[in-house]
Amino acid sequence: MKLRARLALTLGLATISLLVLLGWAQSRWHSRLRVDALAEAAVHRMDSGGRERCEADPERWPGPQGDRGAARHPGPSRHRFPRHRVFAYDAGFQSRNPDNPTFPPELAQQLAAGQDVASHRSPDERRTQVAVRMPWDQGPCTVLLLRAKGPPPWFSGAVLMPAFLVALAVILVALFSAGPIVRRVRQLTESVQKLGSNSEEPIRVEGNDEIAELGTAFEQSRQTIHAQLASLREREAALRNYIANTSHDVMLPLSVLQGHLVALQQRIEAGETLDAQAVVPSIEESQYLGSLLHNLNAAARLEAREGLAHRDPIDLNRLVDRVVDRHRPIAKRKRIALEVAVPEHTIEFPGDLTLLEQALGNIVQNAVRYNRAEGHVAVILDGVEDAWVLRVVDDGPGIAESDRDRVVEHSFRGTEARTRHPHGMGLGLHIASDVAQRHGLRLALSDTEGGGLTVELRFAKRDT
Amino acid sequence: MSNRILLVEDDLALGQQVVDTLSQAGFDPHWVQDGDAARGLEPDDYRVIVLDLMLPGTYGMDLLKRYRVKSEVPVLILSARDDTADKIRALKLGADDYVTKPFFPEELLARIQACLRRPNLVGTERIVVGTIQVDLKRREVITTEGALSLTPVEFEILALLARRKGSAVARDALVDAALDPSHDASRRTLDVHMSRLRSKLGSDAAQLETVWGIGYRLSEGS
Repeated sequence: MKLRARLALTLGLATISLLVLLGWAQSRWHSRLRVDALAEAAVHRMDSGGRERCEADPERWPGPQGDRGAARHPGPSRHRFPRHRVFAYDAGFQSRNPDNPTFPPELAQQLAAGQDVASHRSPDERRTQVAVRMPWDQGPCTVLLLRAKGPPPWFSGAVLMPAFLVALAVILVALFSAGPIVRRVRQLTESVQKLGSNSEEPIRVEGNDEIAELGTAFEQSRQTIHAQLASLREREAALRNYIANTSHDVMLPLSVLQGHLVALQQRIEAGETLDAQAVVPSIEESQYLGSLLHNLNAAARLEAREGLAHRDPIDLNRLVDRVVDRHRPIAKRKRIALEVAVPEHTIEFPGDLTLLEQALGNIVQNAVRYNRAEGHVAVILDGVEDAWVLRVVDDGPGIAESDRDRVVEHSFRGTEARTRHPHGMGLGLHIASDVAQRHGLRLALSDTEGGGLTVELRFAKRDT
Repeated sequence: MSNRILLVEDDLALGQQVVDTLSQAGFDPHWVQDGDAARGLEPDDYRVIVLDLMLPGTYGMDLLKRYRVKSEVPVLILSARDDTADKIRALKLGADDYVTKPFFPEELLARIQACLRRPNLVGTERIVVGTIQVDLKRREVITTEGALSLTPVEFEILALLARRKGSAVARDALVDAALDPSHDASRRTLDVHMSRLRSKLGSDAAQLETVWGIGYRLSEGS
């Protein structure tokens, strides 16, 4: 059922119920008034000579009578007694007048219980009987029975018809006045329905009532949902981008690796005797693949948040050892001397273990990967916990001074780094630079004495 | 002590490769492929435990906890997940080290050997490096040519190198440890002391290696 009809019907029913209740109460009240008036009429009649006439001729009193009510109410009131008929009885509720009705037993019971006035309404509530005990208790006119019509019962048309008319009026007024409310609710409904169609349109809020509050609540929910959707879309796009970039970046070294392996197979098929060095490029490429995946993971983590997700105390001596051990096999195959020195005491530093290891790994990997055969790479950790320096020194080709700032720039954009440095070159150093910055470390590139590159990660407590 | 190494790894290809690598390196690998089988083993029966974290039937971290309650045997974690929280948790639970997949067989061996070296030389009074014996308490050095007469600086240099035998020691670390900062504590001065030390070591001087970019190392020799 529509709101407007429901509202009108509810108001109509409420009005009818209220009016019927009022009708019933009014009817009860009128009924009581009528009993009082009839009792008063009985006393009045007997006081004004009725007793004498009745006792003089009880067999015929009061004589032929219609409904009487002409007698005026004594005193200043202009009220008339209700029209009624009257019958006289003795103290035993017997009448001398044979035309009189039998005294109603229910009234006799009430008077016998000690009441001076007893009343009773007929079951159809259309007639009232009142019995009044006179102040004397001897004679044939000791008790008077009065009968009168009305008042109308509460369920009569006289009561119900105005109630229905008023209710009808209320329903009409409700239908008319609910119009603006219904219109606003419809507007709100339309606005909310548009949310499903992904509309950017805000929910319009008019007025300052409950409907406006509902609209405001919907608008706030819309904004929250909108923000969450935007965040989800962003994450989805980042994920898609990550998968696409990862696939692209992995395909390249994978193709190179396949090329190396095919070339090896062709050389073997051609009867060529291969030495161990022949497989080094393939091994190097496979190691690069693993490292690339770690870097892409690190890049995704760096892009996903500011700062660091973890800060645990890290044993830098062991971290350096681990990174060097990781690159020693490839260095050995490339006949590059990879050496490491850590201090006797342990240097602990709070940071993200995976990211720091990846950063140092990238620096060492670059030093090994781009070095020549018989080259050197040295990794040195020195200092104390409050001030330490980690150097990766190589005698490889180095990086031109003009390119160094770009390589270690702080802002990290994985995609940009990839496109600018084909085959992953530079991505590793970008990650290292970003990780260093997040850890409050200074990353510096310089020339190695005699040629090559020195990458330095430096920490000083007073700097942070 | 035996050379038994427990390998808990569910991947057949990787597990076989590791077993081959360990065998070739002179270890006696015992390979179990699932957590349930590994749970019943006695950790003290092995010198090192190599434990994969992702195992069918159990999580490697639970095994690690179980082993750590019973034993101090070095545990090396094999981790495929590049997850800092996992590594840190494993280290906090008592793992000695971890190796992230993919890895070269040599890398795994190096980490295992690092685990085995861990009971270090702290508290040792006499260190033997090849043919060179360094008595830290008596401050004496004996080589194939007999007892050497070293200056305090030369002894400090050799003692530090002996304590870190096989490992390169940075020039700056040697300068800090052996030279008097109120005098000429520089790399150049260090090189002069090293030159003198080499000549005093005579035929054993080959054990004192110069390490490019770093400094020096005292090795066991050939």
